[in-house]
Amino acid sequence: MAQTSDRSKYLISPALVIGLFIVAAYGYFALSSFFAKGPPGTQFAGGPTFDNYWRVLSFGSNQEVLLSTLWASFVISVITIGVAVPMAMVIVRAKREWIGNLIMLAIAVTFLSGGVTRAYSWLILLGNKGLINLGLTSLGIVDAPIRFLYNWSGVGISIAHYLLPFAVFTLIGAVRNLNPSVEEAARSLGASRTTTFWRITMPMLLPGLMVTLVLVYSIALASFLFPMLLGGGKVRMIANQIYDRMFVEYDIPYAAATAVVFLISAFVSIWLISFVAKKIEKAVS
Amino acid sequence: METLKSSTLQLAQLTKTYHSFEAVRDLDLNVPSGSLLTLLGPSGCGKSTVLRMIAGFLNVTSGQILVDGKDISHVEPNFRDIGMVFQNYALFPHMTVASNVAFGLKMRRVPKEEQAVRVREALEMVQLTHLADRHPSQLSGGQQQRVALARAVVIKPKLLLLDEPLGALDRNLREGLQAELRDLQRQLGITSILVTHDQDEALYLSDYIAVMNGGRIEQLDTPIALYDRPQTEFVARFLGVPNIFSSKVVSSTANEVVITLGNQPVVVPTNQNKPAGSECKVSIRPSHIDVARAEDPRQGITATIQSIHELGERIVYHCAIDGLKIEANAPRISSSERFATGQVVKLVLDPSHTILLRD
Repeated sequence: MAQTSDRSKYLISPALVIGLFIVAAYGYFALSSFFAKGPPGTQFAGGPTFDNYWRVLSFGSNQEVLLSTLWASFVISVITIGVAVPMAMVIVRAKREWIGNLIMLAIAVTFLSGGVTRAYSWLILLGNKGLINLGLTSLGIVDAPIRFLYNWSGVGISIAHYLLPFAVFTLIGAVRNLNPSVEEAARSLGASRTTTFWRITMPMLLPGLMVTLVLVYSIALASFLFPMLLGGGKVRMIANQIYDRMFVEYDIPYAAATAVVFLISAFVSIWLISFVAKKIEKAVS
Repeated sequence: METLKSSTLQLAQLTKTYHSFEAVRDLDLNVPSGSLLTLLGPSGCGKSTVLRMIAGFLNVTSGQILVDGKDISHVEPNFRDIGMVFQNYALFPHMTVASNVAFGLKMRRVPKEEQAVRVREALEMVQLTHLADRHPSQLSGGQQQRVALARAVVIKPKLLLLDEPLGALDRNLREGLQAELRDLQRQLGITSILVTHDQDEALYLSDYIAVMNGGRIEQLDTPIALYDRPQTEFVARFLGVPNIFSSKVVSSTANEVVITLGNQPVVVPTNQNKPAGSECKVSIRPSHIDVARAEDPRQGITATIQSIHELGERIVYHCAIDGLKIEANAPRISSSERFATGQVVKLVLDPSHTILLRD
């Protein structure tokens, strides 16, 4: 028996091989960021240089795209969680089971439909003559159609919609782990529903909320399709920029430098969020 | 803490139905002020449903919950002024012990200084002042439940509801906390409802016990009366009486009937009007049967001992009366006479504890 368990560690080798290849590819890509753009068909050329990093960090437009990607991802993630919490609560706690099942089904359908399909659906819904604006104008709620497309609102809505299943599925576990007696205890001690929610339920959910926030934030940072299709070139996130540099400008070193800077800032921002989250959890307890 | 002004609780035709299932049916109950009443029964008998309706966590289908004569059945739980202790403690995990206890006072906007005083008093009462700054996860189960108790009584509630409060604790701890709970309840004089399926706990803690079955109260009595004189077969079985016999009434007078056990007549006092020839059931606890020599002068029935088990405090005799199995207990002390397997003995039934069960 000891022998088998001894050998079992070798089972990791296929994963290790694949992992090494991927790391090697990443490494090679990262390495290219220290060189100049090569002739067509090559990755890079010339001697080592920090030029690409200087370009990434010094141009105002680059900084703007980077910062807006980080900030927008954060805001969209927070909004997503704001929507996901009540949904998870209803799924877990609805007295009529079919209500929870219906919401689960809706989320699952969203989850399984492809990104392009969804982006296109949002184009139909959010356009100046889309269903939402048509409804709003014909009901007389607004005079002129609200512009959702080619700005952050449309991109934000579609990304939030994309993130929602991730957030809801993660939060279902957290909500299921809540002990309902604790909330009942608060009610019997004189707390209203609202007070109980904010002072008891939310603090108990906080660790789950923070995990979910980091998860959806990481996913949001990598958004590519929705800003491309619903942003119409006016809203650009970092993945679009990297894509353009690689496949439009064929400047792989420049793209690589952008990716490296982005990766580092993503890590730093995620670390920052977790750090603040821990502080908040401590302060609440 | 000083004694509370205690309230009375009255349930009037309380009913709870789920679709077509009646969890609680037309329940009437009076709890005198300052007393502890236990709802005892197997799981699914409706006892927790009753408690949760009193607390306000479940809507009442029909009927009334009267506290000091005022119907509270449609009042939100946060306005009912009821303290509750849960089986799983239900402490606020993100708050210290002191903040847990202070929560109800904070909700009532009690001034800060008074809060501090009352929290300290409540923690003194359960001897946990030294743990005031800990978090619930750092406490043992018994300590957590004492915090929960302090948290429930610090608001000076009109009623204290205890939902299997000792169910999650191990045996030794449970007995210690039982005594503490009993003393505290007496000392505060707070009207309390306890829900449990543990008869020992119920017998120890209660002033009154209501045994529930199928959403109804089978018997409401003091612990001793319930133990000695169960009125129905369900209650007798639930309280662990092994000797329940089906028989026929041979003859009856105004206050007693004669039935047969095996082929031998037994006189059972009763005020039930049972005509001769009717079916009946009798129950008798093994400890209410005296095992005596066959030549004993007292009235009794002749039986043969089939097996003998000496257990901790008692000797258990399994006997047969003309093929009918009956169990009798004797205290396991040196003065009680020992009999042998196969020996013919006389079983002397204590007439006041031989019970003709109601149908």
